[in-house]
Amino acid sequence: MSDRPAVTSSWPARLLICYPPHWRARYGEELGLLITDLLDHGRPAVPMAADVLGGAVAAWISERGTGMTQRSRGALIAVLWNWVAFAAVAAWFGHDLGSYPTAIEAQQMMVSHPAVPDAYHLLMASGSVGVVATAVAAIAFAIDAAKHAWRQGRRSTFVLMAVPLVVAAVWLGGVRLLPFSEHTASGLALSVTWLLAGVAGIAVSTQAVVTVVKRSEFSERTWRIAAAAAAAVVAAMFVATGATITWGVVARTSLAHPGDASGWLVVTAILAVTTVRAVLALLGGRLEPAEHPAVA
Amino acid sequence: MDLTEPVVLVLTSLADGPKHGYALAKDIEWFSGTKLGPGTLYGALSRLDERGWIEALPAQDRRRPYRITAAGAESLARHLEAAQRVAATGLRRLELGPVP
Repeated sequence: MSDRPAVTSSWPARLLICYPPHWRARYGEELGLLITDLLDHGRPAVPMAADVLGGAVAAWISERGTGMTQRSRGALIAVLWNWVAFAAVAAWFGHDLGSYPTAIEAQQMMVSHPAVPDAYHLLMASGSVGVVATAVAAIAFAIDAAKHAWRQGRRSTFVLMAVPLVVAAVWLGGVRLLPFSEHTASGLALSVTWLLAGVAGIAVSTQAVVTVVKRSEFSERTWRIAAAAAAAVVAAMFVATGATITWGVVARTSLAHPGDASGWLVVTAILAVTTVRAVLALLGGRLEPAEHPAVA
Repeated sequence: MDLTEPVVLVLTSLADGPKHGYALAKDIEWFSGTKLGPGTLYGALSRLDERGWIEALPAQDRRRPYRITAAGAESLARHLEAAQRVAATGLRRLELGPVP
């Protein structure tokens, strides 16, 4: 067995990085040589690259040890915490964008810097990808957790599973019903209190989900769904962070009076830090040593 | 293990002797007309290796040949016999024409 990467400069061979580390260590050099041989004999590069990527996906799916190890469980929980923090900050930032900059300034920027609306749309698209991936994984986890809790007779699991829904309902109900105001001290205090309550609610909900994940047993299929969802979420975080940085830089260089940049900088820093932490957690989980057959 | 088409093609190619990746790709293209991509070919090789139906030999000029094992040959024989029965039945029925 060789841990060396394939010695080749062809771009399809560089896609070997997409394979699981164990698989790449065992077959990477040989596959790299085959790619080079086929390219040298006139096989077109683009279909070959697509085939290599398809092989990488199949290798990840069939890789042994994708089941629940304690480390991969911890990695998914770490991705979840970082994603929740990221999404909360991004949502707050996106909500704040409505009043900053002014509509006229925004139109001027759209004309002079098309990258601004592009970045905004990219941010929205990546956010949607992250939310959909989270929802898909949440449904799969909820079904398995409910089955496990039913078999074990653990009613408390059902209570924990209800926490995020109850918290969201209560908080959104409060947003609609409570007398928030920026013009009175009491209304402003209520706004701040409710905002902090929302942050606490997010933390409590996430902890409830984490507890369910820690105490339940999940099928191999659910873990594969979770791994795919985590990868999609992390990719979305990465793209969204890039879009936010692009938007901020272009917007601030376009405005005659850009004002204080501290808010954008803080938001960007939080997005970047949570993204990096999620990427590291995901890679750490995937690099978990797995049981592999002896190489003949 | 399901014998997918790439797996059957690889086992069939190795049935007459050990081959490395490029030799496999060329041989399979010659006898079946199928141009297996490198990802597909090594996907099949890794599954067969894991199953013990082929085994890796020492590398020659950095290219590692594989040979079929007894278990792999037996599985291929069973699969091809079943496929032969299906093919013979299908051809015979086509010669007789559709049942009215």
